[in-house]
Amino acid sequence: MMPDLTQHGKAETQQWQPDANTPVVMFDRVSKTYGKINALGGVSIGISGGVTGILGMNGAGKSTLFKLMMGKIKPSSGAVRLFGTDPWKNPAPYSRVGFVPEHEKMYDWMTAFDFVTTFARLHGMTRDEASKEATRVLDFVSLQEVMHKRIGQFSKGMRQRVKIAHALVNDPELIILDEPLQGCDPLARTTIMNVIKELGAMGRTVLVSSHILHEIERITEQIVILHRGRVLALGNSHAIREMLDQHPHKIVLDCKEPRELAKSIIGLDEVTGISFANPNKLLIETKHLGKIHEKLPNIIVNSEHLVTGIDNPDDDLQSILMYLTGGSL
Amino acid sequence: MSSRMDTIWSKLDRKSTAIAEFTMRQYRTRISTWVVMGASVFAVFLMLLFYIEAMNTEIEAIDNDGDSFDTDGDGYPDGQERLEGTNPNSDASFPSWVEPDPPEKWINEDDIEWDNLADGENYVGKDDDGDCLNQDTSSQRDNNDNNVDCDIIVTIDSLNGTVDVNADNNVDEDPDEDRYGKEAGHRAFILGIGKFGIVYLLGIFLPLFLATGLIREEMTEGTIHYMLAKPIARGEVLLYRMLGYLGITWPFIIGLCFVLSLITGFAGPGDDLFRWADFGVWMSIAWSAMMVSLVYGTIFCGFGIIWKNGVILAILFAAWELGMAFVTILVGGTESSIRYFSVIGWGMIIVDSGAAICWPDNWQLIESGLWGGGKGEENWLGEYEYAALPGAVPLATFSGDSSLGVSEWLAFIISTVVLLFQGVMSWFIGQTIFKGKEVD
Repeated sequence: MMPDLTQHGKAETQQWQPDANTPVVMFDRVSKTYGKINALGGVSIGISGGVTGILGMNGAGKSTLFKLMMGKIKPSSGAVRLFGTDPWKNPAPYSRVGFVPEHEKMYDWMTAFDFVTTFARLHGMTRDEASKEATRVLDFVSLQEVMHKRIGQFSKGMRQRVKIAHALVNDPELIILDEPLQGCDPLARTTIMNVIKELGAMGRTVLVSSHILHEIERITEQIVILHRGRVLALGNSHAIREMLDQHPHKIVLDCKEPRELAKSIIGLDEVTGISFANPNKLLIETKHLGKIHEKLPNIIVNSEHLVTGIDNPDDDLQSILMYLTGGSL
Repeated sequence: MSSRMDTIWSKLDRKSTAIAEFTMRQYRTRISTWVVMGASVFAVFLMLLFYIEAMNTEIEAIDNDGDSFDTDGDGYPDGQERLEGTNPNSDASFPSWVEPDPPEKWINEDDIEWDNLADGENYVGKDDDGDCLNQDTSSQRDNNDNNVDCDIIVTIDSLNGTVDVNADNNVDEDPDEDRYGKEAGHRAFILGIGKFGIVYLLGIFLPLFLATGLIREEMTEGTIHYMLAKPIARGEVLLYRMLGYLGITWPFIIGLCFVLSLITGFAGPGDDLFRWADFGVWMSIAWSAMMVSLVYGTIFCGFGIIWKNGVILAILFAAWELGMAFVTILVGGTESSIRYFSVIGWGMIIVDSGAAICWPDNWQLIESGLWGGGKGEENWLGEYEYAALPGAVPLATFSGDSSLGVSEWLAFIISTVVLLFQGVMSWFIGQTIFKGKEVD
């Protein structure tokens, strides 16, 4: 058994075979406490196939949920199963999983291609296979043109896409994305959302966490709402949307000349009010958040104004939570 | 079954090269790597300057037996008068039939010739200048009473580690300080810088800066999540990260020792162009430093996993090892069995065994230098103390005995095995902790 230093050709590797009769992800009354803090309390869910949005405010337990799935932390009680296997101290199921961590830090000195091939090889691929797969996934996230540039030169959205590419390199059945849209510019958001939708259409099980409802809504209808470590609601987002549409929402645009931009937005039927929070911010009020978000990108592009950020200050999720918890946030 | 083994092996193989390669490239991007290596090279070459200067400075010759003087003032040095059988104290006894010798001829005229010393009594020494053989009475020529004229009895008791020298008068009594001092100084430099500079300091500082953060920094920065989300056991991650660490430190140690062996090999004393025997000593120094840096690296990396301020534990450990390094170098031998509870103690045994193999005459060189021609004076305890030749005391300090009670080769192998065992155990403990560690 000499070291295979050249590492060319096809690897004769055996893949770990998942149990076909269990859900891809299963949580059975899982709790996780840190000292006295209850990060997750008795969560039971089973997810198989399609895109599922995990919604919750910061500290609701989204990341804890993912860390438990990825075997990074041990449940205080209950059982976590990936393909029917306990992931704690057992990395075997990860051959069928792709994980996009929330952490922003990456290896800035590597090129996107290096980054993806290095981690592809941890799946037991040869150099040849890893290069081939890396090219495929970087193409899939539309980074083929910059894949030999250093990650340090990338924008937030491009980095996010490199992270997604590295998670897809093993053609996983389960893809977990922790806040993949956070901090991305509108264009990157659209690209990432399309990638996620496509993965869902390919029959993969995709879990996406976010604290912004309309983002998730643009990707999937299947949502899980977490609040203070508990599952608050679970199911189709339409029902929730309907009860929510009666509340007014706010959108804040960061731009250089908000007054100029306001001229092209005020004409929209959905807009109920416009104000200027400060010289660089434009505040839009609406009752139809989804429609506005569909129209906004086009308006911004056509107006040729530079918009550096879009935010929902009194987030719609907060409104849902208010509603669901009876106002006891 | 064999195909299954091949599968496991080829996967391990691919993952190991991927992580090791990645780790080495990562080191290349870190400034700390270059700082610690640059500082080591700088410090070593600074020491080397002192060495080269010492090798090029002549050590002043001393007339150890005082026979270059002309006691009676008749123009003949004492040594010549003794050689001719006349009385150096009487101006009436000058040997008028020969030309007087210049006094320099009676300095460094009788070098120490001790060879093949063994346990028990050895009869060595040679009266090069004839000032012993020319004495009148047989009791003058054989005052150590072994019925051999003009020789030295060296009695070695290896059990108690004592050496007793009983010499006839005027035998090997005026050695060449420059020749001895350079040889001893050269060897003392190699052992000193090898044991303390390379095996201890380099062996501990490279891991301190390069290995402590091997896992910890990834945990702090959150990048560990990429690696831990792959189908690879944490113990493997630790092992392959260590491989990457060794891929950087080992070539550095080997390269540094190789360059030093070339410089000291050409600059060192001796008639040959290159001192080949030293090469073996440098190799054992490099091997020892490699083993030691492996063990320290694994331990420090484990400290980093246990605690986010693992470097504090590493420094405390380094302090203990520093103590052990001093104990091993200064006390040495059988008196310091506590060194077996350290890493550095075993590393020093590798160097000592290597030196004993490559310089089999080393301890004779030390003993003859400490005897120094037999001149000296009584100390306040009333014991006779010889005046050692230059370089003899440093050489004696930095030389050591494996004191394992086995042959040098076996001591070399045993200490290597012990260090490897320490390394494997540290990895095993480290990976057990890492496996059960919650990574946030």
